[in-house]
Amino acid sequence: ALIRSLQPVRTIHSLVSRCISHLSRQCYDVIVVGGGHAGTEAAAAAARMGAETLLVTQKIHTIGALSCNPSLGGVGKGHLVREVDALDGLCGRAGDWAGINFSILNRSKGPAVWGPRAQLDRQRYREFIQGELRSISRLTVLEGSVEDLLVAEPSPDEPGSHRVTGISLENVLNPITASSVVLTTGTFLSGSIFVGQTTSPGGRIGDAPSSAGLSHTLKERLGLRVGRLRTGTPPRIVKESVDFALAELHPPDRRPTPFSFMNTHTRCKEQVPCYLTYTTPGVERVVQESLHLNCHIQQDTKGPRYCPSIESRVLRFPGRSHQVWLEPEGVTSDLLYPQGLSMTMPPEMQLRLIREIPALHRAEIHSPGYGVQYDYVCPTQLSSALQVKTTQGLFLAGQINGTTGYEEAAAQGLWAGVNAACRALSTPPVSLSRTESYIGVLIDDLVCRGVTEPYRMFTSRAEFRTALRPDNADLRLTPKGYELGCVSPSRYQEAMRVQRSLQDAMAALQALTLSTARCREKLPDVRVSESKNAALTGMELLQYKELSFETLASVFPERLSSYLEFSQRLKIEAVYKPHCDINKKEIERIQKEENMFLPQDIDYFSLPASLSQEAREILDRVRPTTLGAATRLEGITPAAVVSLYNYVQFAEKKGENGQQKTTRSK
Amino acid sequence: MLPLVCIFREIRRAAVHTHRKSRVTTLHQLVSTFNGVPAGLADADTIFALSSGHGRCGVAVVRVSGSASSMALRCMAGLKRRLPSPRTALLRSITDPHSKEILDRGLVLWFPGPHSFTGEDSVEFHIHGGPAVITAVLQALGSMPGMRPAEAGEFTRRAFQAGKLGLTEVEGLGDLIHAETEAQRRQALRQMSGDLERLYQGWSHRLKRCLAHVEAFIDFSEDELIEDGVLERVDSSVSTLLAEIERHLKDERRGERLRSGVHVVIAGATNAGKSSLLNTLCQRPAAIVSSIAGTTRDVVETGLDIGGFPVLLSDTAGLRDSTDLIEQEGVRRARERVQQADLTLVVVDSVLLPFEVQKAAGTLQENLTRVLPDLKQPDKDRCLLVLNKTDLLPEAQRQKLERELKGVSGLPPVCLISCQTHEGLQDFLSVLQSRVKTLCGDPLSDAPTLTQARHRAHLQQCVAALAQYQKLRDTDLALAAEGVRLALTSLGRITGKLGAEEILDIIFKDFCIGK
Repeated sequence: ALIRSLQPVRTIHSLVSRCISHLSRQCYDVIVVGGGHAGTEAAAAAARMGAETLLVTQKIHTIGALSCNPSLGGVGKGHLVREVDALDGLCGRAGDWAGINFSILNRSKGPAVWGPRAQLDRQRYREFIQGELRSISRLTVLEGSVEDLLVAEPSPDEPGSHRVTGISLENVLNPITASSVVLTTGTFLSGSIFVGQTTSPGGRIGDAPSSAGLSHTLKERLGLRVGRLRTGTPPRIVKESVDFALAELHPPDRRPTPFSFMNTHTRCKEQVPCYLTYTTPGVERVVQESLHLNCHIQQDTKGPRYCPSIESRVLRFPGRSHQVWLEPEGVTSDLLYPQGLSMTMPPEMQLRLIREIPALHRAEIHSPGYGVQYDYVCPTQLSSALQVKTTQGLFLAGQINGTTGYEEAAAQGLWAGVNAACRALSTPPVSLSRTESYIGVLIDDLVCRGVTEPYRMFTSRAEFRTALRPDNADLRLTPKGYELGCVSPSRYQEAMRVQRSLQDAMAALQALTLSTARCREKLPDVRVSESKNAALTGMELLQYKELSFETLASVFPERLSSYLEFSQRLKIEAVYKPHCDINKKEIERIQKEENMFLPQDIDYFSLPASLSQEAREILDRVRPTTLGAATRLEGITPAAVVSLYNYVQFAEKKGENGQQKTTRSK
Repeated sequence: MLPLVCIFREIRRAAVHTHRKSRVTTLHQLVSTFNGVPAGLADADTIFALSSGHGRCGVAVVRVSGSASSMALRCMAGLKRRLPSPRTALLRSITDPHSKEILDRGLVLWFPGPHSFTGEDSVEFHIHGGPAVITAVLQALGSMPGMRPAEAGEFTRRAFQAGKLGLTEVEGLGDLIHAETEAQRRQALRQMSGDLERLYQGWSHRLKRCLAHVEAFIDFSEDELIEDGVLERVDSSVSTLLAEIERHLKDERRGERLRSGVHVVIAGATNAGKSSLLNTLCQRPAAIVSSIAGTTRDVVETGLDIGGFPVLLSDTAGLRDSTDLIEQEGVRRARERVQQADLTLVVVDSVLLPFEVQKAAGTLQENLTRVLPDLKQPDKDRCLLVLNKTDLLPEAQRQKLERELKGVSGLPPVCLISCQTHEGLQDFLSVLQSRVKTLCGDPLSDAPTLTQARHRAHLQQCVAALAQYQKLRDTDLALAAEGVRLALTSLGRITGKLGAEEILDIIFKDFCIGK
């Protein structure tokens, strides 16, 4: 087995520049603005694709910082981490390096919805990400504040009314040019921080606000529609002030499961536990008493429904006891992160509130919780390559698109980075289908439906959940990523080895047939139904809950023992295969519809098709790129889709309407 | 994707007699069936059509819909100054807009949009039903700019696009247009008013909650405090729903039968008078009758209205062993028909019956077994014994048979008739009518019944999918949830309403999720 060293490589050239004068060039293929989860994945992916890439961030020191909770993965989010890893992204390996508490959520509910999750050591996570970036050739990191985008006339060969050609930096005379610019500004776009009744500009406490010029250019010059969202973070608590005897101990999985397909084990030797505790009626009382002192909560900017502040939880569901998780911030950290206690009341009230929780009755706050409100760009203005439809060369990823969560940001960052590089290297844009990945589901939801609240991934968003499992992300995505150029040969070879072995093993299982009588004799613990007279194959036998691949291999060692490395994956494949086969037709239908492109310059209002005014307005607003995307729009009736299809077919036959203009990958 | 176009096509057809298998229509199938309607018909056009039935009738209704409706009304009803008050009948002379010649005198009604059937401005002309008048009015309408005859189903399609009708409502309407019989009309009205729609929506809503709760349990539960017992509540909801849908499916095709006709098959030995019975019932010589055994070789079908219910009556070849290849095929077809029949009329030549009643009963039983080899006791109400040619019996024998055969247990109802003299025909018809009525059910009582084979197929899918939930619930919740999703999709295919975001909305409404 290929075991890659977990130690981040820090050899080659270190291209980190703190000063503009050290830059070797004034012109790059791709510039990435922002050093969070989206920015780092974008920069790394673009460089892997072969683009000369510059990452610009306010503070090199905070690259890879976990601004909010010290954890990665979970249900749905874990799927994204596995997919980012399958495309050779950073966050999966970073999680394996920095994780100090690993568990697979939903273990009892079926492998399609298992949620790999880890608590992280903040320090180690940052170290790993920074180390990785340093080791990537063609990637330069620059500390600086972006003042504005350079906007020029559009290129006539592509659709769009503007073109972004680079950035200008604060206090620097000469701009830096690039074919593609990826903005990953997180909560910094017109961000304001709220604590109690005070408000200050910024996206994260301790960091300078981003430039007003950038925000102005997006809104005024490029004419992008923006909305406002809010989020928040809890106070950090001094660990030694917590009375752990009054909280429930929740140990992690005994054997950590790595996020990365390239790792067989994780770094940490001894895992650190989490603790669970609950709110009391006293907490509710403090929230009520502090409401008039709480600006953030009084504004009706949309916050996440699933990651609500303690204030909104108490207000929406009064009279209940709510969970509070006490999570470690790191191996050596003196702090605890109280998951579920995100709050924006004045600091003195925050202290009163947490002390209403038994385990925190004498707790001390290290830094208070706060709320952030920020602008996001309505993501229906993006293509499935995450490029702004009206602005050539401008890509957006992460919270700027209205999402929440590290994993969602990383997934978009990676895909925006790939496409930014494609554009710079003059290859067609690429998209991922929702039939093949959660990343595809995420991007399709964003660009087709838009957001009304911070978007978080759930497994229920994926129509083909049984096929898009965390265990098979490598088979789904690594070959495609290698073809595109964002996956290293070593990862590709490993994925191919796995694929071949699984295929061989499944062929061996299919070839293994047992009569029911022999089943009962050889495998007495498997309750093969009496009525079955036909022989059962190994694949069918593995569908029985009580039979593991290991047991089967111990009965037929000569045929199966060479595949023991893949026991779990084979068991999962066997159980899900019949269901995935049923879905195949539907998947093919959707993929066909996704290959019918709608011209981006259609005038939907004068289109001579039988469409209602409402349908025309929706289509005009969203401008779906494919017929498949149009079918998923709310308010688009099947009849409208048929009319649209007829029109496209008709137009195609006449060979007009710029069908060829929308260049696409295979 | 919904078989929308199929529905519009359906509307075009006369009441469908043959029971067609419904299927899930994908976009591609949808589009391939859609090509019959020319592309590029803009909604800007104003459409018109004769909305009442074709053929001679007292009053005919011509309907106009679209932006030019008011212009048509002004020009043809001599209303130069102002339009009549909305939705009020007005008696006017109807004139040709160019020659000013009076075409007819009739009622005009003005329905300004959006308060009209299609949601657009609409006008109705109620004129005399003679073909010459109708043609003249339609020609006059067609001569005006921006007006064209409507495509089949186009009024309904516009109404649907304007959000005036739900999918099952459109189907109900299509049936209404073609309701050939009174009972069909009543059921169509009932469906259109949304009874069925409400029933399916109700199920759909409950299923959405079930799915939302399962999804919440999957996506949130472990460290995000979903209260206990969520899955148990889903279990009991699924069981209840399953039972309700199964009960609905067990209406034994009553609604469908009412819509497409009860299949009644005439069968029996050769020369028993089966074709004569068919001709007698449909009051015309639809089938060839002769004294030669084996005259009828193929299946002869005809549609009938029996007491307000549609009946599809088939005459079949007499059952006997034959060496003639064509006759063998005829017998095979006869047997096939009998198997699919809702009601079988077993015709027996009464002259061939033994004199003694007990023996006669035995002969009848033999006849019955020959026609329906695997007839079970409870299925007895699926057939009637028809003793034909009673005019050839001595009167005393006829009366004896009539009197005594009724008391013989194990036999289905016996009717004695003569196709020659029509003796006993009235009694037979009333027995037949009550049978047909039972088979169709009363459309105005009880729960709404299934009217479309398409609905049945989707409901069956729904039941199978819910069973999948129950089967896999303990082993793999992701696969079990797939069952609920599939069940919901199947229901959504009937009602035409389904949204993924709705599921998340329910989750957040029902649970306090905090992480």
